[in-house]
Amino acid sequence: MTDLADLATPIVMGVLLGGLYALIAMGLSLVFGVMKLINVAHGDLVLFSSYFAYAAMALLGIDPILSLLMGMPLLFAIGFVIQKYLMKRAFGISMEAPLLIAFGISLILQNVQQLTWSPMARGLTPAYALESFSMGPFRFPLAYLLDFIAALVVTFSLREFLRRTYLGKAIHAASQDKRTALLMGINTGRVYAFAFAIAMATAAISGVFLGLTFPFTPTSGVSFLILAFGVVIIGGLGSMVGTFIGGMILGLAQTLGGYFVSATAQMLILYIIVLVVLAVRPQGLFGRKERT
Amino acid sequence: MTIPRPRGGWAPLAAVVVILAVLPVVGVSERWLLYIFLFFVYLSIANMWNLLCGYSGLVCLCLPAFIGLGGYTLVIGTWVGLPTPLGIIAGALVAAGFALLISIPVFRLKGIYFAIGTLVVPEALKYVFFLWRPVGGALQGGGAGYVLKSTDGFSTTDIYWLALVIGFASVFLMRFILSSKLGSGLAAIRDNERTAAICGIDVFRLKLSSFIIAALVTGIAGTIFYLRQAYIEPASSFSIMWTMMAIVSVIIGGLRTEAGPMFGAMIVVFLQFLLSRYAGYSLIIQGIILIGAMLAAPQGIMGFMGKTRSYRSLLQWVRGR
Repeated sequence: MTDLADLATPIVMGVLLGGLYALIAMGLSLVFGVMKLINVAHGDLVLFSSYFAYAAMALLGIDPILSLLMGMPLLFAIGFVIQKYLMKRAFGISMEAPLLIAFGISLILQNVQQLTWSPMARGLTPAYALESFSMGPFRFPLAYLLDFIAALVVTFSLREFLRRTYLGKAIHAASQDKRTALLMGINTGRVYAFAFAIAMATAAISGVFLGLTFPFTPTSGVSFLILAFGVVIIGGLGSMVGTFIGGMILGLAQTLGGYFVSATAQMLILYIIVLVVLAVRPQGLFGRKERT
Repeated sequence: MTIPRPRGGWAPLAAVVVILAVLPVVGVSERWLLYIFLFFVYLSIANMWNLLCGYSGLVCLCLPAFIGLGGYTLVIGTWVGLPTPLGIIAGALVAAGFALLISIPVFRLKGIYFAIGTLVVPEALKYVFFLWRPVGGALQGGGAGYVLKSTDGFSTTDIYWLALVIGFASVFLMRFILSSKLGSGLAAIRDNERTAAICGIDVFRLKLSSFIIAALVTGIAGTIFYLRQAYIEPASSFSIMWTMMAIVSVIIGGLRTEAGPMFGAMIVVFLQFLLSRYAGYSLIIQGIILIGAMLAAPQGIMGFMGKTRSYRSLLQWVRGR
């Protein structure tokens, strides 16, 4: 086999994996873009959804993807409540208050999950998660393909939602200029709550696909948060397509880093990329410099 | 350069120090000493976070990096034959040097970007120490951590005194910084960065100095903690839990108050003590307290007591029942 053919595996895997990363980052990007808040609890909320799907599968025997019919409304409601009752007040207190509250939520979720599910690694393993599909001479896990398809669907529908519906336009308006949006009769408080809720619904989706792809433990939230943050930083703020591309870049960086350097160092490579991009271009590769 | 007198003179303070210092000699139980030890380690870390977030406006989430680096320097130092006192100094210097190094990328970031940039740092270090075994002593393969090779004659009591020293030193350091030029410069920056810059304050240099001072002190706290723990491994030394502890202490006690971290650290240690058998529950409760305190009393205990009106209404509420 030539070197080039050898490279095909990490490249395809990277792109497909990038779908998952984009999916995880979608909710973070939305909250970040609209409220200028880094939801440090995002990783743990994604994991919450993974555990919810796990519970549905283990206790009730429901397929993880089908369990989203319950998981999405649940996280939607949780997101709405967090924004409406916690964050909204925190924004009035100081700049760092929402960040610290998100930190508190993350701490609570992480330890509740640790107590409920023990620190053992779990995974969502319906029959199809272990299948693989072939592309030319290579075989890839089916779960990776599902990640990519889910990411495409979510990115596209979120983009259309933000462009075409009244609520979507209102979210857009409120993120661009809160005061003007208020003057135009948009209830920004409600809009924010809906934006947070929608972000959490995408977190629910990403949690399930995360569980189908990787094993997870109660403490993996932080690493997925950093990953998602890296995607958002690389893709630039608020842009759904940028987030998608950012996911691809990080996915490729991980698989190629694993291929060229070593499998154990791949996460380190990702973190270093995130730090370098932050230092060189904090507004992201595709983002425009924000006016202050 | 004079250290400002504490309120009420030196006598009560000296009495407290003496009482705390003789506790191990008069045979107070190990368990109590451990919690007092933890309190002083936490206090010094919380004080530094207060310096960064409260007084310098840097929401810094990379304290575990300094703690872990300090701890690792000390523990690895014992493997290459470095005496423990030098190990502690080396740990502090490594942490401060590392702070200087990462200040190049992270100080380009502002506000929330700074927070996340610093959050990545300990996570990256965690992987570095998972992969990298600088000296031999194959314990259980890579990343399994190190045991302290020898305590070099340091007994538990000595380590307890060290914690006492760093705890009180951090309190005095805060006093000193706040009454110095650095402190007034930082206050000006916090109120309005642009105005401060126009008035001739070197914003970057002041923020950098408080960042490096914080790294130095947390580095020492880390070495002392791991001297007592006698074992270090990457997952817990670079754990986000250290940041959490510092934030909870400072927010509960009162951000931007001198006595705040002391009350906060006391509450955190007390919770650990109460729920020592249920470590997870203690952290959940800390999370709930953090959110509750942030929303109900953003200024923490100190701010709450300071605002006489709310204090009075609390008294009324208590009497009304």
